[in-house]
Amino acid sequence: MAASIKLMTQTLLQRSLTALSQRSLHTQPAIFSSFRSSRQVQPLEQYPEVEVVHNPPEWKYVERLLPPQTVPQPVAKADYPSGWKPQTADGNSDGYFVARTKNHMVPVYLHTRHRGQRRITIVRRIQGDIWRLEREVRDVVERARNGKLCATRVNELSGQIHVHGDYVDVLREHLKSKGF
Amino acid sequence: MLNFLNKTRQVLYPGVRNLSNTLAARQSNVSSETTAAAGDKIAVPKPALILPQNYKDYAPVNKNSARQAWIENVDAVKERKLGLIELHPDVFAAQPRVDIIQENIEWQRKYRYVSLAHTKTRAEVHGGGRKPWPQKGQGRARHGSIRSPLFKGGGISHGPRSPTTHFYMLPFYKRVLGLTSTLSVKLAQDDLHVIENAEIPTRDAQFLKDLIKERNWGPSVLIIDKQDEFPENICYATDYLGYVNLMPAYGLNVYSMLKHDTLVLTVDAVKHLEQRLLYQLHRNDATSKGGKFKLDQV
Repeated sequence: MAASIKLMTQTLLQRSLTALSQRSLHTQPAIFSSFRSSRQVQPLEQYPEVEVVHNPPEWKYVERLLPPQTVPQPVAKADYPSGWKPQTADGNSDGYFVARTKNHMVPVYLHTRHRGQRRITIVRRIQGDIWRLEREVRDVVERARNGKLCATRVNELSGQIHVHGDYVDVLREHLKSKGF
Repeated sequence: MLNFLNKTRQVLYPGVRNLSNTLAARQSNVSSETTAAAGDKIAVPKPALILPQNYKDYAPVNKNSARQAWIENVDAVKERKLGLIELHPDVFAAQPRVDIIQENIEWQRKYRYVSLAHTKTRAEVHGGGRKPWPQKGQGRARHGSIRSPLFKGGGISHGPRSPTTHFYMLPFYKRVLGLTSTLSVKLAQDDLHVIENAEIPTRDAQFLKDLIKERNWGPSVLIIDKQDEFPENICYATDYLGYVNLMPAYGLNVYSMLKHDTLVLTVDAVKHLEQRLLYQLHRNDATSKGGKFKLDQV
């Protein structure tokens, strides 16, 4: 009984092995492919008849598969599982405006230097009264670090605020709560 | 005033787009046209050209910034306003990044500059193959050649060598931002004018001179159309005017925009520029434009 089971497993193994080797023989990796190895063009009569159709109705299924050229507008939903929120503020109430990126994300980033020892949070794409936003940002960050002072730097020309330390999540949530 | 315009735009945002189709707007424009036409008798009573912006594809980053420009005529010296065009704020109301404009100017100056400054090394200066005096016994410093860099009339060490190219590529999005910043700056400084087309009635250069003087267009004018084939009349008229230049939209660049005082865009050119620049600002494969510039890339 045991011997027969052993034999069966052996034959199965052998069969699978031969299948594997056959496959590896017959599929050529793309790296070695060349125009020399492909079949030469035969006389046109040997090929099946084709009809050139312009604007076929099925083309829309192909279009569906093509990646969009530009970033599409987000689909409006009540809430999003990722925590992402659409921008609601229009910049009228606060005097400043933080624009979303083209991917509809809040432009708050972390820059690390000195092997990760210096972490700087950068808020970008600020328009309008940047100094007012800077005061707010400082308040929020100081609250997050239990009242300790917060160092910031404002670049008014390029609309950026740099905050010392990693406060990306804090500031991102704050800006989202304000509707930016 | 701008604040008021912005507020009204916020309220009228969806409605204002259909303005051109409403009969009242057309009639009001026609009536103003006819009153203007009574004076100079050139104007044709045509419905006003109101070109609203379609924000469906590319929503503006800041919904508060609205920009509009008059569409002017060029078929007569006297200025008539043919309509109104709504400009996309991402292109014509961008943050004026003067630092990026400066980088663009520097790049445009440098990438085509080849320095021809040249000096000869000690090997290239004529002569100097002989040891000027024996190594020892003269009480003088030891020297092997009279063309050594230490000698008067000797070679120059580490001097400029010709030709030295200064070619480099500015990062792609700095070039895009340079264009949007400069267009915004030109519009904000009232140096940007939109004309219906580049069809002028005569090939006489005096007509253009009068037109520029009448409308207070700057000492130098850059006229941009979408295509590179301009109408015949304007080509003849600007041929010998060094300060009036024609350029297709694909040739638009920061250096030329700043070199000329006034920028004059046709409606087609405005639409084309907006479409191209907004595509670049929103394209999905933007990372493909980053990376090192390779000389054999398209």
